Amino acid sequence: MAIGTISGQLGRQREFDATFRAATAAAALLVLLLLGGVMVALGVGAWPAFSHFGPGFLVNSAWNPVSDQFGALPAIFGTLVTSLIAMLIAVPLALGVAVFLTELCPPVLRRPIGTMIELLAAVPSIIYGIWGLFVLAPFLQLTVQPILIDIFGGIPIIGLLFEGPPLGLGILTAGFILAMMVLPFIASVMRDVFQTVPPMLRESAYGLGATTSEVVRDIVVPFTRTGIIGGVMLGLGRALGETMAVTFVIGNAHEIHASLLAPGTTISATLANEFTEAVSKLYVSSLFALGFILFVITFLVLAAAKFMLFRLERQAGG
Amino acid sequence: MTLDYSPAATPLPQGVKPVMPIDKPTPQPKPLPDLTPQIVPAAPAAAAAKLAVKCEIKELRFYYKQYEALKGIDLKLHDKRVTAFIGPSGCGKSTLLRVLNRIYELYPDQRATGEVLVDGRNILDPGQDLNLLRAKIGMVFQKPTPFPMSIYDNVAFGIRLYESLRSRELDERVEEALTRAALWNEVKDKLRQSGLSLSGGQQQRLCIARAIAVKPEILLLDEPASALDPISTQRIEELIAELKSDYCIVIVTHNMQQAARSSDYTAFMYLGALVEFDSTETIFTNPSQKQTEDYITGRFG
Amino acid sequence: MSRYARRRVANRIYLALSFAATAVGLIFLVLVLYALLRNGVPALSGTLFTAATPPPGSAGGLANAIYGSVVMTVVATLVGTPVGILTGTFLAEFGRGSPFAAVVRFVNDILLSAPSIIIGLFVYQIVVVPMGHFSAWAGSIALALIVIPVVVRTTENMLALVPNSLREAASALGTPQWRVIMQVIYRAAIQGMLTGVMLAVARIAGETAPLLFTALNNQFWTANMNAPMANLPVVIFQFALSPYNDWQVLAWGGAMLITVTILALNILARLLAGWSNQTP
Repeated sequence: MAIGTISGQLGRQREFDATFRAATAAAALLVLLLLGGVMVALGVGAWPAFSHFGPGFLVNSAWNPVSDQFGALPAIFGTLVTSLIAMLIAVPLALGVAVFLTELCPPVLRRPIGTMIELLAAVPSIIYGIWGLFVLAPFLQLTVQPILIDIFGGIPIIGLLFEGPPLGLGILTAGFILAMMVLPFIASVMRDVFQTVPPMLRESAYGLGATTSEVVRDIVVPFTRTGIIGGVMLGLGRALGETMAVTFVIGNAHEIHASLLAPGTTISATLANEFTEAVSKLYVSSLFALGFILFVITFLVLAAAKFMLFRLERQAGG
Repeated sequence: MTLDYSPAATPLPQGVKPVMPIDKPTPQPKPLPDLTPQIVPAAPAAAAAKLAVKCEIKELRFYYKQYEALKGIDLKLHDKRVTAFIGPSGCGKSTLLRVLNRIYELYPDQRATGEVLVDGRNILDPGQDLNLLRAKIGMVFQKPTPFPMSIYDNVAFGIRLYESLRSRELDERVEEALTRAALWNEVKDKLRQSGLSLSGGQQQRLCIARAIAVKPEILLLDEPASALDPISTQRIEELIAELKSDYCIVIVTHNMQQAARSSDYTAFMYLGALVEFDSTETIFTNPSQKQTEDYITGRFG
Repeated sequence: MSRYARRRVANRIYLALSFAATAVGLIFLVLVLYALLRNGVPALSGTLFTAATPPPGSAGGLANAIYGSVVMTVVATLVGTPVGILTGTFLAEFGRGSPFAAVVRFVNDILLSAPSIIIGLFVYQIVVVPMGHFSAWAGSIALALIVIPVVVRTTENMLALVPNSLREAASALGTPQWRVIMQVIYRAAIQGMLTGVMLAVARIAGETAPLLFTALNNQFWTANMNAPMANLPVVIFQFALSPYNDWQVLAWGGAMLITVTILALNILARLLAGWSNQTP
């Protein structure tokens, strides 16, 4: 055994230590550059449209490829409204799922049911899209929408929300599908967050004779409030960016209506439908501008979500 | 620093006289009432000249961020002997042990000042190569930590780091290490099985085999038997008694009886300071500090 | 009704509602799977896997689309996984506590949930435009950019689960850090890391938006990575929205194939890892 080679070997190994460390740091840097790159690429692509239309781009609702007139308002409107509907439906449902999984469900069933809920998140967007188009939309058109029109159509202000013929497709349908798609994400976060509640706290409440729903309402939810909001915002971030499912069922009309039964569009649906058809430079740039706006909105929402979840981790003693 | 793999004793450096009261032959531990089978150390009467100081600790201070965990430790560790660190929880004995192979360097907020001389060289020197240091000073931890690989690969791991051996030689070294760790007979037919398939006591002996396979000169044992059942504990203690003829062994233990059974020298620590250091017999039968006596007799701790 | 009785009733109602909410979610899953099977099974025939996508009105299959999806998924995984593992290693082993690592982690989580159509736009700008044409390479890169955040997240989590005692034991032998990581830590975490890769594959298998303006689509059979290549999601998109019945049948068939693959990968991954709950 040669003693002389050992320090040589170790010296080489130490050099490789530095190389390995540098490689991992470089990969990490790449991730950062990725985000920066996305922002820059979108900004560069969007710049011609922004400089041409000015801030009016955001509030203009004309969308006319023939005359090269583009306004982002219908798309932004549709994005926000469908996401809002999705949140209104998904958040209470997710709360129910989380409560069920943490308080009610027999321990044996917890894993399988939890997994099935998470499988909802695994199903790709396009599958929900074709299901929505071929199954849900006709169903809504034939049954639910006529009922809604019958019930609410006559009422003065609310009736406006349900005006127009039952098409099956439209903002409401898109909202439904989005709700089912973000439900598992929000439910997952809520369940994780509910489990950070110290058992002692729960036990003290039960010990005083509180019912399960009271414990949830008065102890668990307040304790995990920040985390719940974080989870909701995470779901919102996903809903805002969802593309394929929405594209199939929203009807793809660059219009703004008060009625939920009317067709509309979202930023991502517009991009999916029109990007490959866009001919003129201004058209393409306007689409990039839409993408840029979407990116900014989702970035802000996701950053806020991360921040909230981080605060909860700290509070829980992480 | 070149490595010396020969198991021969390290010669006494020039002009150094052992300062400790070690002119008596290695003492037999006097039985304390609640002891189970005693370990009788072999080879008594090492002549004073052969009792080398392997490691000398001078003015060692250790800090976790701003908190001073070790307050000026001065200590000498003798070759071919077992030195035990004892004391109540939080006294700094594990911290002191972990300075000796600078394993604390893995954590950014921990640092040490002072000198730790191994064979005359200060291992706290920033220029000291840590990997080389740890090849010379091995460590076994409280919880058995077999690597997620076969028993053979576990023991061979360290050897492969430093030497390129032909497979025949490697087999011999692995067998030798497992034999010295009193594990060979139990695993010789299942060397390719995962190290995690062994029982707790066997896993710990595997970790010991792994540590001695690279032929270190100092062996650090951090409460090696505390996670084990009494029978495994006894086997580990027998092992230590055998191994000490080749290594300078330092053992941290919160079990006083184990220290009394297994060690030649004992250091009693309290709140980060070294209260008393002497031969085990003296510490346990005639300590000079009151604190030591209180701890030994169970008045606190 | 006494106050206590009221509370009990309220409790029963709330709990029934939460049970109903879970039932809604599960029923939805069942409805979707049922529709997939009912409409997709008729598409199963010998030619599904052998014939290329046909023009409307003739018989055909999805072979070129299946091939394209598989190829682009494999390339994306091969490109994205190493980057993801290295970054995850950095976050778990080298960057603990450093502000740089915190920023990277934050950015990674944003990328994880970012709209995939934005990734498509990005790759369009940096790959398709300079190249001058759509290509399967561009599609693969877009998918790789989706793989990376998933693998980073799971790798970091799995590495962080490896106990420090293992790191110390390896370092105490004098092992250089890269060996501690590659020969000991990775081996301890390999199951979880593989699971992460499987989940990433499951994620990109169904992604449509990033492929819409990168790999585009191709009616014909091609193995040329430098040209637009057929892939299942975009084919489904095109065929489902068409008025042709045989195209629609093929669309359902493709949808069923994708969903079965993805669900199988997911279930397999969870069995492998034995996770109880992890946020995706």
